[in-house]
Amino acid sequence: MNHINFLVVDSQVWIITTLGWLIVFVALIFLIIVFNQVPKLLGLDVKKLIAKKEKVAEQGARGSEIELTGETNAAIAMALYMYFNELHDEESNVITIKKVTRNYSPWSSKVYGFNNVNFPR
Amino acid sequence: MKRLITLFGVFAMLFALQLAGVGSDVFAQGSASGGDVMGQAFKGLETFWDFTGFHNATGSNFIMIAVGLFFIFLAIKYDYEPLLLVPIGTGIIIGNIPFAEGYQIGLYEDGSVLNYLYFGVKKGVYPPLIFLGIGAMTDFSSLISNPKLMILGAAAQVGIFATFFGASALGFTPQESGAIGIIGGADGPTAIFLSSKLAPPLMGAIAIAAYSYMALVPVIQPPIMRLLIPKKERMIKMKPPRAVSKTEKVMFPIIGLLLTTFISPSALPLLGMLFFGNLLKESGVTERLADTARNAMINIVTILLGVTVGASTQANYFLTTDSLKIFALGAISFMVATAGGLIFARIMNLFLKGDNKINPLIGAAGVSAVPDSARVAQLEGLKNDPNNHLLMHAMAPNVSGVIGSAVAAGILLAFLM
Repeated sequence: MNHINFLVVDSQVWIITTLGWLIVFVALIFLIIVFNQVPKLLGLDVKKLIAKKEKVAEQGARGSEIELTGETNAAIAMALYMYFNELHDEESNVITIKKVTRNYSPWSSKVYGFNNVNFPR
Repeated sequence: MKRLITLFGVFAMLFALQLAGVGSDVFAQGSASGGDVMGQAFKGLETFWDFTGFHNATGSNFIMIAVGLFFIFLAIKYDYEPLLLVPIGTGIIIGNIPFAEGYQIGLYEDGSVLNYLYFGVKKGVYPPLIFLGIGAMTDFSSLISNPKLMILGAAAQVGIFATFFGASALGFTPQESGAIGIIGGADGPTAIFLSSKLAPPLMGAIAIAAYSYMALVPVIQPPIMRLLIPKKERMIKMKPPRAVSKTEKVMFPIIGLLLTTFISPSALPLLGMLFFGNLLKESGVTERLADTARNAMINIVTILLGVTVGASTQANYFLTTDSLKIFALGAISFMVATAGGLIFARIMNLFLKGDNKINPLIGAAGVSAVPDSARVAQLEGLKNDPNNHLLMHAMAPNVSGVIGSAVAAGILLAFLM
């Protein structure tokens, strides 16, 4: 095994280390700049929209000042989650056939269904 | 009925007579050849014994089988990335069952079934398919709503380059160092993709190191978080992310694809598939394709990738001092990457004011390891303030870490190929 000497590492390695990390930074900073501009390009004034929403929310909140704790939020979220997971539009296609047992009734009797009059003997 | 019985009776008699005749012929031949039936039987048994695992086993096989069992134990008992560790653990056991070489059984033998399955790993086919699934299941809206968090994903990539440097200092070639360094990206598919191109002989060790440290993210990261971030900063509450329009969500993969692949074309298979998968999800008109990519396909590829990567750790290829060095470097790279993200988040806070400040804990999520590192940030945040939910914010550096590590892989490929 070679001795570990960080100063004697190939100059190529130094270059790749620093340049490589820098390029990753540049690439992602480039993305940040672009994505900061996207809402403006789309004509969305995000700050205005947010301000508007906050105003509406404030007006709504004035009427009923409700402070929800984390636990309440979690309970609501859980209820919603369970509700939406319980909804299913695909059925299992298994049909349960219930056996219906009935007592004898002359209405369903076979005997009365036969025409015994001209039966060959 | 009687006719049928008579007919079958006649056939049965004829068949029995024929058998008896042939049997006597064979017996006659056997006694003519000297009657060493027993000797031949023993020879057959000896040949069979030579083929068994018991005869071919070495100590290293048992060590690796124990490692495989340990992976399965970790996955089942502690729930550490079970979707990865169960296939890999089983793969390690499969790959280390001793066998007689030369009969197209082992993973490294040309023409064997395992060799065909391993082709996808060797040629880097599976990682882009996994990225397609990841793209189809990832919601980038937290990143789009707060793009500045993307820089944390770049900061955490320091782990890759620090390990690259460390591996070179330990005597690995630049190509091998690049492949080892990518462990710091905390991204299994990227690690396999890069090592298959730069250092195929080290791929098994690198993949195992990457996946095992990813599984250990909940163990590795919290102590570093507590060490580097003061309690007061751990309690910072971030303002909720803004709502993101559908147009922005659709534009993100297209712009991301164009920008990142123009900067780093070598990462095209990974980034191209990642953004393609995301476009399938966000376009809203290809739900069936997105559904297949994020469910059936990624599951199939994960199974194949896990088992073959595990099986690639045949003791005679895997148990070397190089593997030990790779494991040590991998651990360091994870720690450095986590520390890099955390420290950079604190530095960012120096320039941010008021409620724009970020909770530095989310910096640790920049190492990618989706979604485990984001979950760790959330849990650490909750420990300090039970009402501080960081998951949504942590997902931004988390997914940008995936992009960052793929870009870094592309850069290393461009420099070292």
